[in-house]
Amino acid sequence: MRISPPRLLLIVAFVLVVFLEARTVLAFFGVAVSPLESAIAAVAVIAVLVYWGTRPVDEEPTEE
Amino acid sequence: MSELFVEKYPEQARLIRLAFTASFIALGVGAVFGLLQALHRTDILRIVESPTYYTLLTGHGVFLVVTFTIFFLVGLYQWAVTDSLDRGPVDPRVTWTWYGLMSAGTIITAVTILAGFLGDPPEVLGSELSADVLFTFYAPLQANPLFYVGLVVFVVGTWLAGADWFRTWLAWSRDNPDERIPLPTFMVLTTMIMWYISSIGVAIAILAFILPWSLALTESLNPTLTRTLFWYFGHAFVYFWLLPAYLLWYIVLPKLSGGRLFSDPLARVVFILFVLLSTPVGIHHQYLDPGISEGFKFIAMTNTMFLLLPSLLTAFTVVASMEHGARQRGGEGTFNWLRALPWRDPAFTGMALAGIVFAFGGFTGIVNAGMNINYLVHNSVWIPGHIHTQVGTAVALTLMAGSYWLVPQLTGNRLVNRQAGLVQVVLWFLGIVFMTNSMYRAGLFGVPRRTAEPEYSFEYDIGVGSMAELNVQLALGGTLLFVSAMLFLGIMLLTAFNDDTEPLVDGTIPPALSGPEDSPPVLDNLRLWIAIALVLVVIAYIIPLASIVDRGGLFGPDIGPFPVFVQITDAIPTVFYSLGALIA
Ligand code: HEM
Ligand SMILES: [Cu+2]
Repeated sequence: MRISPPRLLLIVAFVLVVFLEARTVLAFFGVAVSPLESAIAAVAVIAVLVYWGTRPVDEEPTEE
Repeated sequence: MSELFVEKYPEQARLIRLAFTASFIALGVGAVFGLLQALHRTDILRIVESPTYYTLLTGHGVFLVVTFTIFFLVGLYQWAVTDSLDRGPVDPRVTWTWYGLMSAGTIITAVTILAGFLGDPPEVLGSELSADVLFTFYAPLQANPLFYVGLVVFVVGTWLAGADWFRTWLAWSRDNPDERIPLPTFMVLTTMIMWYISSIGVAIAILAFILPWSLALTESLNPTLTRTLFWYFGHAFVYFWLLPAYLLWYIVLPKLSGGRLFSDPLARVVFILFVLLSTPVGIHHQYLDPGISEGFKFIAMTNTMFLLLPSLLTAFTVVASMEHGARQRGGEGTFNWLRALPWRDPAFTGMALAGIVFAFGGFTGIVNAGMNINYLVHNSVWIPGHIHTQVGTAVALTLMAGSYWLVPQLTGNRLVNRQAGLVQVVLWFLGIVFMTNSMYRAGLFGVPRRTAEPEYSFEYDIGVGSMAELNVQLALGGTLLFVSAMLFLGIMLLTAFNDDTEPLVDGTIPPALSGPEDSPPVLDNLRLWIAIALVLVVIAYIIPLASIVDRGGLFGPDIGPFPVFVQITDAIPTVFYSLGALIA
């Protein structure tokens, strides 16, 4: 774990909130994002976060 | 570690546990109703007929903003007074009496509301047993008289509770003549002063007008008058929900953060501002009411904008205290200190998230308070959006978070499963963001509140996305909130039965960085503040009330007390004639 589970939980929650509110904010600037698009983007970001967060700290990065 | 509250004051702890029990039962029922409303409005699941929606909504409003919040308040305040004065009440019988009155009132009112679910409600006191009048009970909506009787009994209970706390404090100050009022007790006393000044309005509305009218003792009433009396009380009522949360933010949150309250004098100033300003603003709920002239509405708006001050002061003091705590725990940098806060503690995290939501909700409150933009959002579902960010989260989530800290001290049991507690507060946060984002957006496009059928058959031209999307979001948010509420109640129930454990909490409250010795003694001069508050109330209300009575009559148009007298005088000769006839 690179991050404690409580922190990961909170960050995931904030990511969801940011994505939800960002749709409303972007709409003010004429940028239309569909619910599906923003859901996919949020899930992708969360997946990356969880993957990163749950890897052991001392592990060597597997990707180049 | 200090001695546990329950060991030091077993009887007080019992009373507080019982108050919390009543509060949590109301939360559970209210949450079920909330979920049903969310699913009904969005036409996802309908288990009651649409007309019965008002029974749900009345129950939801009354159980959550009257029973849940106020029972929690009296429990918390009983703790605050006992703990900070380090003594119990003068006469415990009084304490149990107010608890009994509040419980009796709740049961009476709850029965009248829930009877609305019966297909064929019984007749009681001359009318059907039901109370589909929502928590604002505006005339001409009329409930069974028992609904009002229950509310009155409940409020009298809270009055007695306040008197009980004042008495405890007076007894304490006789033993400690030269000491400042400890901050938690100061908060309790000022809250209750505000409550006394304001709840007189609703008491008059009920006892003089609504109750006699529902008993058919009077024929009619003046709806503008009873509404104005309700809102004379209404804004102070919302602060009555909020101030227990403030107490937790000022007293407990700095401690949970690992530090101390930044400034005791500032906290006193904030509570005094609430005493002064929370009543002469009520007309801001009536911007759209006919029968009150614009000038008075403008005065109410100005006072309301002044009310932003105590909330901003609170934001700065509480965040400064949190930063102080984080730095004590080794936090550094401009923002990096945030990482040093105890995020794994549900009590801390719940209050912090509640604070964030409160800030956003506060901005929407400024929209409501503006006389001109209020017209855009008035009676739209934007308003429940605001309600749920404020009382439904800033208050409700803070009270739940506070329970994670307080309940172990009241039971002597260890909190079961802190992780589940953390998940619970995060779920609430997510749920509220989903639900209120939908409510705010829908409200801006005119979707109404307080209706089972917000759409009928027409299409709203929703600026962003579609109505279907907003509905899904509302239902999803409502479901998350419901799950979170049930999780909370589950954790509390298990903790209550978690015997043979030792709690892990430490109940000592560290002194403020800038303590009471820094605050001018005039702040503790409660008589002075009461006097100023009364003057402000008179300025804001006497002329509007007089003109409402002048236009619409005390008991409605053409139904003044005068003809009643005429009838009595007419009756006197008749009585004499009949007596004479009898004798002859
Ligand atoms: C379980 C979570 C909850 C859900 C799903 C929920 C859902 C709802 C919905 C959908 C409405 C709008 C009804 C309408 O206008 O037609 C509503 C109204 C309301 N809610 Fe909630 N709510 C929840 C929790 C709370 C809490 C915790 C509080 C306060 C402590 C609260 C206070 C209110 C109030 C005061 C109203 C307005 C009632 C009225 O217009 O008379 N709710 N709720
Ligand atoms: Cu208000």
